Amino acid sequence: MVITANETKAPSTDYPLRGLRILVAKPGLDGHDIGAKVIALAMRDAGAEVIYTGLRKSAQHIARVAIDEGVDAVGLSILSGSHCELVAQVIDCLARAQAPDVKVFVGGTIPVPDHEPLRQLGVRGIYTSDMSLDRVIRDLAQQLH
Amino acid sequence: MAGDIGNHPIGWRRQLGRRLSWLAGASTLEILRSEGLIPDVGNSVPRVGLTGPPGAGKSTLGGRLAVLRSQRMRMGLLAIDPSSPVSGGAILGDRIRMDELDGIDRLYVRSLASRTSEDGLAPNISELLVAMEQAGFEEVMLETVGVGQVEHAVRHQVDTMVLVLVPGAGDYVQAMKAGMMEMADIFVINKADMPGAPQIASEIRSVLRVTSPRRDGWEPAIVMTQMRDQATVAELSETIDRHQAWIRGRNDVSQRRLQRQRYRLRSLMDRWVQESMSEVPKTFFDFAIQRQMRELIERMGAGLLPDSD
Repeated sequence: MVITANETKAPSTDYPLRGLRILVAKPGLDGHDIGAKVIALAMRDAGAEVIYTGLRKSAQHIARVAIDEGVDAVGLSILSGSHCELVAQVIDCLARAQAPDVKVFVGGTIPVPDHEPLRQLGVRGIYTSDMSLDRVIRDLAQQLH
Repeated sequence: MAGDIGNHPIGWRRQLGRRLSWLAGASTLEILRSEGLIPDVGNSVPRVGLTGPPGAGKSTLGGRLAVLRSQRMRMGLLAIDPSSPVSGGAILGDRIRMDELDGIDRLYVRSLASRTSEDGLAPNISELLVAMEQAGFEEVMLETVGVGQVEHAVRHQVDTMVLVLVPGAGDYVQAMKAGMMEMADIFVINKADMPGAPQIASEIRSVLRVTSPRRDGWEPAIVMTQMRDQATVAELSETIDRHQAWIRGRNDVSQRRLQRQRYRLRSLMDRWVQESMSEVPKTFFDFAIQRQMRELIERMGAGLLPDSD
C-alpha cells in the first residue's frame, strides 16, 4: 500500500486518524494502563501515530513530551478519581509551554457530574468505559480534523 | 517549568517540535518548496547512528549514552519506530524506557514513524537531521527501526555507526556477514552479562579477520555493555569519541557529502514515484508496461515544473 504525505493529511473513512500525532499519557498514581493501551492500539489502527508515556507521569513531564513530540492532541487516562486536579495541571503546563492549541481528551472513570467542569477547563472529549472504541475514534476524528 | 535545554527556552522547544512534525509529514513538493534545508556534511555536527535487531536494547542503551554525553554537549535524539503497513499508524514506544532515565530532561528526544520508508529510516530523514542541526544541537543520535538487512541507508546519514547485538543472535551474525559487518564502526554486544556474549564477540572478531580491511582504514571496535554497569556505557561513549577524532583527522568530507546528497535525491525520487503513482487512474495499469513508465515519468516531470527554480 502506498501512503503519501498528502493522503496522510486528508481524513479517510477507513483510517480517520491518519496524519495525526497523539500522546497517550497516564498522570497521577493509578497503575492501571490496560485502557490506555487499548485506546492507543485503536488509534494506531485508525492511522494515528501514538506516543505512550507509561505510568505515573507528572503534568510537567506530559506537557514536555507533548511539545517535544509536536503532537496534535493529548489523551489522559485517569482511573484514580483525581481527574479534575490532574487535568487542570496538564492544561496549565501546556499553556505555560506555549502549547495551548494542543487538544486535551480524557478517558477513564469519570462521573457524569464532573464532565461539565472538565469541559470548562478546555477538555474536548470525555470517554468512559461504556463507550464503544468505534465511537471514541469517530469523535476524536471529528474533533481533530 | 523544567523544560529548557541548555540556553533554549521552552518556546524554542515548542517551535522545533512543530517544525519536525511538519517535516515528517511533508510531501515531496512541500520539501522542494521549503528553503534552507540543504544538507551539507561540511557544516554538520557529528551524527551517531544506532542500529541492530529488535530487542537488542537500542532504546535503553541509546538513552543512557545520550544522557551521559549530554553532560558536555546539547544532545538531540531521533528514534524511529515502524509504522503499520495496513493503517499507516504507529505506536512510538522508544521513549518509554528513555523517559525513566535520570537526567533525560537534558536531552531532546523525538519519536518518528517509518511511514512509507523501506530502509529502516523515515521519510525526509535528510531534512529532519538538518533541522536538528540547525536547532543547535552539538550532536545528533539516530536510532533506527532495527529490521536487519536494510540499514545500509543509515550508513550514509551518520558519521559513526554503532551496531547493537545481543547474545543468542548468532544466526543474525551469520546473516550479516555480507552486509552490515563492513558498515559498522563500532560493534556493541549488549546484555553482556547473558551467556553467549563472549562467543558473539569472538565470532565478530573472526568475521572481521577474514573480511578484507576497510577501505577507509578504520579498525572496527567491539564494546561489551550492560545496563547495570555504567562504566560499560562510558566505554562505549569514549569509543565513539575516538572514532569521531579519527574522522576529524581524515579528509573525506566531500565523499560523505556526496553520499548524503545521493541518498537525499534517491529518497525524494522514490517518494515522488509513489506520490505520482497514487494519482493515476486504474485504467492506466492496462497500458503496455513501457507506456506506463513513459507516461508516469512525464507526469512526474510535469508535476515538478511549476515548483522548480
